[in-house]
Amino acid sequence: MFVIEKPLPRPSEDTAPYWEAAQRGELRMQKCLPCGHIRFPPALLCARCLSEEFEWAQLSGRGTVFSWIVVHQSQHPAFNADTPYNVTIVELEEGARLHTNLVECANEQIFIGMPVEVVFDKVNDEVTLPKFRPRR
Amino acid sequence: MGNLSGKYAIVGVGTSRFGKLQGVSTMGFTLEASKRAIEDAGVPRHEIDGVLVMMPAIMGEQHGWAARVAAYLGVAPTFSATMDMGGATACGSAATAIAAIDAGYCRTVLCCFATQNWPQGVAMQLFGSEFQVPYGDVGAITLMAHIKRRQQHEHGFKDEHYGQIAVTWRQHALLNPDAQMKKPMTLEAYMRSRWVAEPLRLFDCCPNTDGGGAFIVTSMERARDLAKPPARILGAGQSHSSEMIHPRGNDNQPWGGKPAAEMVYGMAGVRPKDLDVAQFYDAFTPRVIHDLVAYGICKPEEVGDFITGDHLSLGGTLPANTAGGLISEGHLSGFGHIREGVRQVRGECGARQVPDAELCLVTGYGGAPHEAPPTVSYSALILGK
Repeated sequence: MFVIEKPLPRPSEDTAPYWEAAQRGELRMQKCLPCGHIRFPPALLCARCLSEEFEWAQLSGRGTVFSWIVVHQSQHPAFNADTPYNVTIVELEEGARLHTNLVECANEQIFIGMPVEVVFDKVNDEVTLPKFRPRR
Repeated sequence: MGNLSGKYAIVGVGTSRFGKLQGVSTMGFTLEASKRAIEDAGVPRHEIDGVLVMMPAIMGEQHGWAARVAAYLGVAPTFSATMDMGGATACGSAATAIAAIDAGYCRTVLCCFATQNWPQGVAMQLFGSEFQVPYGDVGAITLMAHIKRRQQHEHGFKDEHYGQIAVTWRQHALLNPDAQMKKPMTLEAYMRSRWVAEPLRLFDCCPNTDGGGAFIVTSMERARDLAKPPARILGAGQSHSSEMIHPRGNDNQPWGGKPAAEMVYGMAGVRPKDLDVAQFYDAFTPRVIHDLVAYGICKPEEVGDFITGDHLSLGGTLPANTAGGLISEGHLSGFGHIREGVRQVRGECGARQVPDAELCLVTGYGGAPHEAPPTVSYSALILGK
C-alpha cells in the first residue's frame, strides 16, 4: 500500500534543542533565568521580561487537558487513515501550553481538566514527538 | 489624541464575481473588484493616490503585491502597502487609509483583496507550524474548533445557538442575489450536518470562495461631490493577541478584541445599543458569539436568549450579516461585510434593507491560527449615514 509520509518538524535554531530533548525522552522548555517564566514556543528571549538568559529546563511532563477537538475531515492526505483523531492542547504544570495528541484513550473519554502525562512517540531515527496519555 | 471621526468616508464598494470559480487569477479578481469599486465611487482614476492591498492568502512570493496591483490599474500611488491582518485587513486598511489621508500622504485610497484557491488548494493543506502539523493539526479550522470547545465549556452555549446563527444568515443570503449559498437551511439540517473538526460542524463553517472585494476611502469634502451617499467612517479600532498558546503566560488574558471595541465605540462616540445593523466577521459561527460579547451587544449569559429570540434577524433588535455573512454570502475576507455595511447606510439593500439604518458596526478577525503561537488580529469600523 502506498503510504504518504506524515510531515515532520524541521528544527530551526530556536527549536532544535526541544526536538533533541524529545529524542532523549525528555520534555524540555526554556526557563528564563531572571524571572523563572517557562516559555513556549521556543524563542530567543522571554516574552515576560525580555531577558535572553535561559536554560533548557526538564519539565515534569504532567499537565491537564485545556482543550480538545476531533478531526473528522482530514486536511492532509497523510492523516486520512487516522480520522477521527484528537488534537489536544495540554496545559503543563509549569504553565506553558502545547498542541499534541492524546494516546491510550478513546476520544470520547477526553475532558477538559483531565490529568495527563507525557509519553514519547519515536516516529523515526530523527524525530520523536511528545504526546500525552491519561495520568496513571 | 486627534479624532478623525466623521472626516472620512467610504464612497465606493465592489466585489468581483465570486464563488467556486476556476479560470480567473488572484490578480484578475483584484482588478475586477477594484474597477467596480472605482466605478461605484465615481472618482476619476487619477485621483487614487493610495493603494492598500491585503496579502493574498496563498503565501508565495508575493513581494510588492500592492504596487503591482496599482500598476495593472494604471495608478501610481504616493501611499501604498501590502497588509497582512488576515480577515481583519478589510477594516484595518480603512483605519490605515484615514490616518494616511489625514497625514497628507494621499487623498483617495483604494483598499482591496482577492483569493483564488486553485490550483494552490493542494499546497495549502500543508500549512502550519512544526508544533502543530506533525500532530495532524493542519490548516485554519482546528483553532476555531478549540475556540468553540472552550466557549461551550466556559459559558454553556448550546449547539442550537451556533446553529441558529447559521440558519439566520442563510435566510438573509436568500435575499442576496450574489450569495454563494442558495438553499434554505433548517436548524434540524444544521444539527445533522457532519463533523469537520468536532465540535465544529460543516454548517458552522463558511465555504471556500474564489473572488475579490474593494472599497474607496476619501475625505468628506471630496465625498460631497460624488453621486452616491458616503458611508462616514465614525470609528475604527484594532487589537492583536496570541490565542490559546501565550508566550507571555496565561494570566490576565482578556476577551479578545475588547480593546478594538473600546477604541471603535470611543472614537465614534456611540454605544452598542445605538447600532442599527452589524456585520460580524464570521468565517465560523463561534466568531459571532465571540463578537456579541467583545463588542458589548450581550453579556455571555445573555447570548443564548439573544440568538434564540431572533434578535439577529432582519426585523430583530440588531439585524446582522444581512447579506448572509461569510458563511452564506461567501468568504470575501470582510470586504463583503464592508460593502454590505456601506449599502445599508446608503439605503441600497432592497429586500434586506434595515429601515432607517444609520449606524453599522463591521468587525474583522484574522491571523495565523496555524502558526506558533497562534495569533489573532481584531479590527472594527463604525459606519454612519
